[in-house]
Amino acid sequence: MVNNLLKNLSRIGLLLLLAILPILFHDNDHIMNIIILCLIWGVVAASWDLILGYANLFSFGHLSFFVIGGYASGLLAKYIGLTPWLGYIAGGIAAAIIGFLIGIPCLRLKGMYLAIVTFSLNFVLPTLIVWAGPGKFENFSTGGSWGLTRIPAPSLFGYVFTRQELVPWYYLSLGFFIMFLSIIYLIIKSNIGLAFIALRDAEPQAKSLGVNEYKYKLLVFALSAFIAGSAGAYYASYFSLISPASMNLDVFLIVLVMVLFGGLGVFPGAAIGAFIITIVNELLRPTLEWRLVILGTIVILTMMFMPKGIMDILALLGRLMKRILNIRRSSKSTPA
Amino acid sequence: MDLDTFINLLLAGITLGTVYLMMAMGLTLVYGVTKVFNYAQGSFFSWGGYLAWYLSVGVLGWNYYLVIPITLVVMFIAGMIFEKVIILPLRRFPGWDFTVIIVTLGCSLALDNLILVIFGPLSKTIPHLMEGTLKIGKFVVAQHDVLMLVIGILMFIILQLFLSKTWIGLALRAVSQDNVGAKIVGLPLNTLYSVAFGIAGLLSAVAAILLAPRTLLYPLVGWSTLLKAFVVIVLGGLGNIKGTVIAAFALSIAEIFLSYFLGGIWAMPLFLAVLVVLLVFKPKGLFGSW
Repeated sequence: MVNNLLKNLSRIGLLLLLAILPILFHDNDHIMNIIILCLIWGVVAASWDLILGYANLFSFGHLSFFVIGGYASGLLAKYIGLTPWLGYIAGGIAAAIIGFLIGIPCLRLKGMYLAIVTFSLNFVLPTLIVWAGPGKFENFSTGGSWGLTRIPAPSLFGYVFTRQELVPWYYLSLGFFIMFLSIIYLIIKSNIGLAFIALRDAEPQAKSLGVNEYKYKLLVFALSAFIAGSAGAYYASYFSLISPASMNLDVFLIVLVMVLFGGLGVFPGAAIGAFIITIVNELLRPTLEWRLVILGTIVILTMMFMPKGIMDILALLGRLMKRILNIRRSSKSTPA
Repeated sequence: MDLDTFINLLLAGITLGTVYLMMAMGLTLVYGVTKVFNYAQGSFFSWGGYLAWYLSVGVLGWNYYLVIPITLVVMFIAGMIFEKVIILPLRRFPGWDFTVIIVTLGCSLALDNLILVIFGPLSKTIPHLMEGTLKIGKFVVAQHDVLMLVIGILMFIILQLFLSKTWIGLALRAVSQDNVGAKIVGLPLNTLYSVAFGIAGLLSAVAAILLAPRTLLYPLVGWSTLLKAFVVIVLGGLGNIKGTVIAAFALSIAEIFLSYFLGGIWAMPLFLAVLVVLLVFKPKGLFGSW
């Protein structure tokens, strides 16, 4: 009871904190930008966790969905004039279709095979994007290695979002974040999520009870790709740019650290990890090239010493607290 | 296309094949013995190349023929240390096969970026094994290419002899067939695991020394070779030696010809397409029975 109340209170407190953050930082564009990035990467990390942590599929090509979403919405907005709002959905749908197509051959793959096939996307997709650059397709040029620039920002009731004012962007991102995290939460709590977890924890039993493995694997590919693609479309309209550099291995590494550090398959974990690692990543900037070495080392240490990520730290803190409380109580009850 | 170009492309393909073959043998050996798919082997490749560069033309300026054996020994030891420090502690985890994939991936990214920190982003070049050309009939070939082929074949034969004639080689094969049985008869499993990684390190270094004069060295150089070697393994059938040899040469020749006609960027898409088609329709490889 009390626990539940505390949990709800802390959630409401967290939301309130998120809602009033701009009051503290509204005149510091740098910090506002980082917080907005936290929200966007939070969605991406949580959607990756859906496939990596909940369905336990080694999909290492998740950023390709992000980038495909960005390009799809950007191209549609630039060359057809689709409004960014619809672009977010279109980016999601494009990524979901690709995710579904990638999911089909991956149905038969396990472990390292799946890991390699999906990981290769990080090398194949950028080269294809660069190839489809200037001079290849008249009306649908991807802009080559420079990326697709001047992607329009959304507008609401006549107000056009601009990079000069980050507070409106912040609230838009917060809404976006809350919406997608709620969707992910609902997916996890629904029968679909139950099926993922059943397939992950006890595959033979789940199959014997008639859980259709193929259906749910394709579904998780498409769903997580949709969310990542939509986030990519949002990212593209926020920076008014999407480029193959978003698929560089360092971006892959950073998002991987977010998911692992936040904890695989523990729901808000990946999003929390995204917040922490985005900030850590910014704090590490002065270390220059060491930054990525440190992040890679975090991956190794996390998997070795705290496989549940941040949840392990919290559990450890909880145990410490309990021990301290117990010591105090026992010292009270038994006067020495 | 005239005959001259054709022969040149074919030779380029075959020599590239020896590199893929060596990387593939390293991966297969490690996977067979330790059941680890080692993502970090691409970094072994890069590190081997950069070490050779550092010792020879880059900084220390030692004689290249002295540098090569030193590099190989160092990479062998580095591979063993890698297994002892990173992989061995993971074995006590439940579900470690999941953990180990992510950990080797993390290692690989950390090691690649360490290259960036130490050697900088500019690409490096290491010397050819031998400068100069050789005339065979009316064809002119680089001596380095001939040596690539010779060394590749020699390494392959040596490895096969090692695995079938020496005590350690036989022990490695015993572990890869049945590691519980191997443990029962008293084979030192942990040592053998390390040796397998050491051999993979050595083979990667050889591959780097052979290939890097052609492709340059840059921090992420190991990845494409690693991924292509993986496709070679799948095409040949995991653990199938004959299949791996054929696959290595077939794919490398296909890559060279494709690059010639369509451009180099299509190499990776080709490999990925081959991989997907294979895994879906012939998951045991073209020659596979396992």
